[in-house]
Amino acid sequence: MWRRSLRFQLVIGLLLPLSAVALLQLAVAYQTAHAIAGRVTDTLLLASARSIAEHVSFGEGGIEAVVPPSALGIFDLGYGDRVFYRVETSEGRLLAGYPELPVPTRRTPSDPEYVNTAFHGEAIRMVSVTQPIATPAKTIESTIVVAETTRGETAMSGALWRQNGGQQMLLVLVALLVVWFSLRRGLAPVLRLSEEVGAREPDDYRAFSAGALQTELRPLVTSLNAHMERLRKQMDAQRRFTANAAHQLRTPLALLRTQASYALRAGDGERQEAARAIQSTTNQLARMVNQLLSLARSERAREATRFEPIDLVAMTREILEEQAPRALEHGLDVSFDSTSSQTDGVLGDRASLRDLVSNLVDNAIRYTPAGGSLAVNVDESDDGWHLLVGDTGPGIPPEDRAMVFERFYRRQERDAEGSGLGLAIVKEIVETHGATIALRAQPEGTGLVVDVCFARRVPELRS
Amino acid sequence: MRLLLVEDNAQLAEWLARTLRRQKYSVDFVTSGDDADHVLQTEDYALVVLDLGLPDTSGLEVLKRLRGRGSTVPVIILTANDSLDARVEGLNSGADDYLAKPFEIAELEARIRAQLRRANALQSPVVQCGALAFDSNTRRFTVGTEELTLTRREHAVLERLVLRAGATVSKASLTNTVFSLDDEANPNAIEIYVHRLRKKLAGSGIEIVTLRGLGYVLKQTVVA
Repeated sequence: MWRRSLRFQLVIGLLLPLSAVALLQLAVAYQTAHAIAGRVTDTLLLASARSIAEHVSFGEGGIEAVVPPSALGIFDLGYGDRVFYRVETSEGRLLAGYPELPVPTRRTPSDPEYVNTAFHGEAIRMVSVTQPIATPAKTIESTIVVAETTRGETAMSGALWRQNGGQQMLLVLVALLVVWFSLRRGLAPVLRLSEEVGAREPDDYRAFSAGALQTELRPLVTSLNAHMERLRKQMDAQRRFTANAAHQLRTPLALLRTQASYALRAGDGERQEAARAIQSTTNQLARMVNQLLSLARSERAREATRFEPIDLVAMTREILEEQAPRALEHGLDVSFDSTSSQTDGVLGDRASLRDLVSNLVDNAIRYTPAGGSLAVNVDESDDGWHLLVGDTGPGIPPEDRAMVFERFYRRQERDAEGSGLGLAIVKEIVETHGATIALRAQPEGTGLVVDVCFARRVPELRS
Repeated sequence: MRLLLVEDNAQLAEWLARTLRRQKYSVDFVTSGDDADHVLQTEDYALVVLDLGLPDTSGLEVLKRLRGRGSTVPVIILTANDSLDARVEGLNSGADDYLAKPFEIAELEARIRAQLRRANALQSPVVQCGALAFDSNTRRFTVGTEELTLTRREHAVLERLVLRAGATVSKASLTNTVFSLDDEANPNAIEIYVHRLRKKLAGSGIEIVTLRGLGYVLKQTVVA
């Protein structure tokens, strides 16, 4: 969890590179301090050596060296360093100093030579210079070696880079604090928004204000609000539907109560009639409840991805066989024909497609007067499969064709028995399956043909 | 009593009409707002039962137009929408009562009786004229302790007369009360119903007096 924290990520993201830079700077500072301290030591060593060299001369006792106190005194910087020296002639005669102090090998005789080594168990830095000494016979070379323990140098360079390092650490610390607090300030609007979202009533779909939110975060609020708007529309549609459904169920219930109370008060003959009426009303109610369930099912199918290959021909034939007795009783001529050779070309949800075919056939039977005919075809064409349900009923005038797909829309008073849901269900299923639906009159200009076309491609689920 | 029933579900309208007719009301029913608007302008009703969800002109519109014409006929709204807003709007538009579907028939009948009682300014559900009594709850006529058996039309004529006992009731208003839209209205038939009623009321101390050219008056026989 904490790995996902913005603070953690930013702090780590900043701390690592910043520390790396700080370390690099420390290393550079260490080197610089070391170099500075080295230069100071070397300068002192050389000055001391030169000062001694000036006091090497040819006197009464031959070549002699007098070491002036100042030549050694300049090293006294308070670090307690020890100073060693050695003066000798080129022939190897020791003039002054420590005979055991090593003499560095000279690479270029004219330049001073600096060497780091150890003496008496302590690290030392030494310099050796040559000084020509004029004697009456000839000029001979003398070598002056001055060495100092490195305590002072180490202490000086340490002091130098510790100070520098402290500054670096302070910089990193300040950077971290700045990140922490500005993050806290920066996150405050987001946290406020989050609280606002959390405190919302479930039925409150008003847009959230971007308020003090940073420009970069505004798209979040924009898309949140767009989502709220979609939710609101969906909830409104749902509420309208529920209200409509309740409305539609109440009227048949009122009818049922009226008929029942009539039956209770009626004589034997009338009671029989009322009982039949009650039965018919109950059937209507049952049909309406089934339609509502079927609508709910088609809405669920929209989310489901369990589409399977369906044999539309077999399914349609099966449903027609089931419904044919009702159609015959109604005095209708029923026919079925198919030109489709492929048996499972349509991909779809089985239960929904059954609802679709049933509703279309049921509507045709319901609205076609006795003596008419009902012709169903499943045709295969270039663009896909066409389910054609044709009847010789009253048809639907072109201006009403868009309206009939609305839920609970009933065109005429005599539709009162219908739920007003049949075609709404059909349309829902058609959309779920990426199919199209068209209403037209029969070629002779009367009746109705419902043409549902299932495209040849794999249907895309509507989001 | 002649009632108008406006309900778009033809079956419900028909069964309600049948139920109310058994209560000796004359009932007309229409299934559209336009038809309702039309018959309310041409016919005279004692009470209107009005569904709000009509396919063409809404029930509320019909009600507003009715009140706009100055009619005071009692209106009971009948609707599937029982939300508070709908009730308030219905009552504000001039309805006298409001009943949500699915209602109990007994309740609808009771509310119809209550509205009719109020419209006729009756204090008690029982109207008395000498030995003749009309119980508007049971919708029965009694003479003394004996129930009077009447056909629906005889009932309509006598109800109209008893509610206005002692006053003149015109033949035209009796005709309007007795015949519903489906009937062939025959003013002469009123005389036949009055004749039959006189026979049934014989010896009760109640008589229906004909005022030629004016109408009828129901009154107690003056005992000489």
